[in-house]
Amino acid sequence: MRKEGATVDETGLIRAAQAGDTSAFEELVRAYDQSVLRLALSMLRSPEDARDVYQETFLRVYRNLNQFRFDCSFHTWLYRIATNLCLDQLRRRKVRKEEPTVVATAEGTLDRTDTAPETRVDGDPHRHLFSGQIRKRVKEALGELTPRERMVFELRHYDGLRLRKIGEVLGTSEEAAKNCLFRATQKMRTALGEFV
Amino acid sequence: MSDCRNIREQFALLLYGELSFDEEERIESHLDGCADCRVALERQKALHDAVDAAGVTPSPALLSRCREDLAELLPREKPFSGGASWWNQLAGNWKIQFLRPVGAMALLAVGFFAAKVTPAFNFASGVASMGLGDFGGAQVRNVARQPDGSLRIVLDETRQRTISGSKDDREIRALLVAAAKEGTDPGLRAQTVTILVGDADAADVREALAFAMANDENTNVRLKAMEGLQRYAGDPMVQNALAHVLLNDPNTGMRTRVIDALTGREGQELDRQMVGALQELMSREDDRDVRERARRMLVSIKASAGTY
Repeated sequence: MRKEGATVDETGLIRAAQAGDTSAFEELVRAYDQSVLRLALSMLRSPEDARDVYQETFLRVYRNLNQFRFDCSFHTWLYRIATNLCLDQLRRRKVRKEEPTVVATAEGTLDRTDTAPETRVDGDPHRHLFSGQIRKRVKEALGELTPRERMVFELRHYDGLRLRKIGEVLGTSEEAAKNCLFRATQKMRTALGEFV
Repeated sequence: MSDCRNIREQFALLLYGELSFDEEERIESHLDGCADCRVALERQKALHDAVDAAGVTPSPALLSRCREDLAELLPREKPFSGGASWWNQLAGNWKIQFLRPVGAMALLAVGFFAAKVTPAFNFASGVASMGLGDFGGAQVRNVARQPDGSLRIVLDETRQRTISGSKDDREIRALLVAAAKEGTDPGLRAQTVTILVGDADAADVREALAFAMANDENTNVRLKAMEGLQRYAGDPMVQNALAHVLLNDPNTGMRTRVIDALTGREGQELDRQMVGALQELMSREDDRDVRERARRMLVSIKASAGTY
């Protein structure tokens, strides 16, 4: 994933896409769509909702690309759209109290704990069980964070964005993002303390 | 001990590399002399790793489906090159929708000539599609309520003519709808809109009111039309007009009333374009009160107040 400002190539792609070059737009989509989908899936834990966020994000980018003026990086702008859509969805879901934990997909049932690579698990069955329990608790602990805490945590931990960039994406200050991350990690530590 | 607690609270930010040089230095020097905190840091690293392991990766099949969906949807979008933003497209659609009066003006000229040939009214087509051109180039000069509840409409044709009847009469209704859109006198338009407000259940009346609300140059007429449409804020055509007013009406009171009309519909879904219009308003509205109302509205429907 690209995390910093636009490269020369990317600037060219954006300008070409703004001029109506659909293959340039397609290239931009392919440069970022895995990150957007991963973020949406991780935040929403529902492939269908993630799919909706993916479509809506890139449709909005497409509709408004001619207004992009390079006053922030393309990545920041794109993530601003994607994170807003994810947060909106999470807030609505919170009101409806529909937080899917296990999700049915065309590929079968998906649970984020099941998609984790088993690289840390050796052949010891006790350790395997222990590792599975931790992942289950991580999932639960993430589900207990507020949407904003969770978004900041996701962007920092899984996307590797710096707090300054997270602040830009979420339209807040670096300090506010830092406080949010601090609260999130405190909650995670409290929830998972017995396992580590 | 409280120092240990403060130090440990910073471990997560330390692992993310989000502490300043001085903060890191303070922790490092503390760790040098505190075995308990070194153990605690190891536990924090283990927690970090456990969270890492719970990361999710979309399946290639899901990614592929998303790309296919997008490839199918994009051609339906208008090209963005030199194109308008969606809210401008919205405004554009709105204008296109109300090119009808212009068409009616053209008919007026044709009708003026046609009236000499075919002076009788022709109601073969629907009322909603009628303009004054359908009346042989007539101009509504005056509308008055009669004591018995019927309406008296004075038409200027090549010579003035008066028609009387109930407002439910097809002919009368068509004239009222046309006068609300095309009447030359603002007093007449206000009076006509006031009469039509009671019949806003009918689609043609709603369309006339929506046109007046979005386009009439007189604020009083626009306001009356909006009052008549408030109950119908769920109608997509009305929402389209309300969004247009929200983003284009120069009168602060009108923009405020649009938000009030939407706020009165708690529990009902807002059209996505309307949500977008509210979000767009947040970035272009100068009036603090209107902006605050829009923000509260967005918060109440769990939409973000940011613009895209």
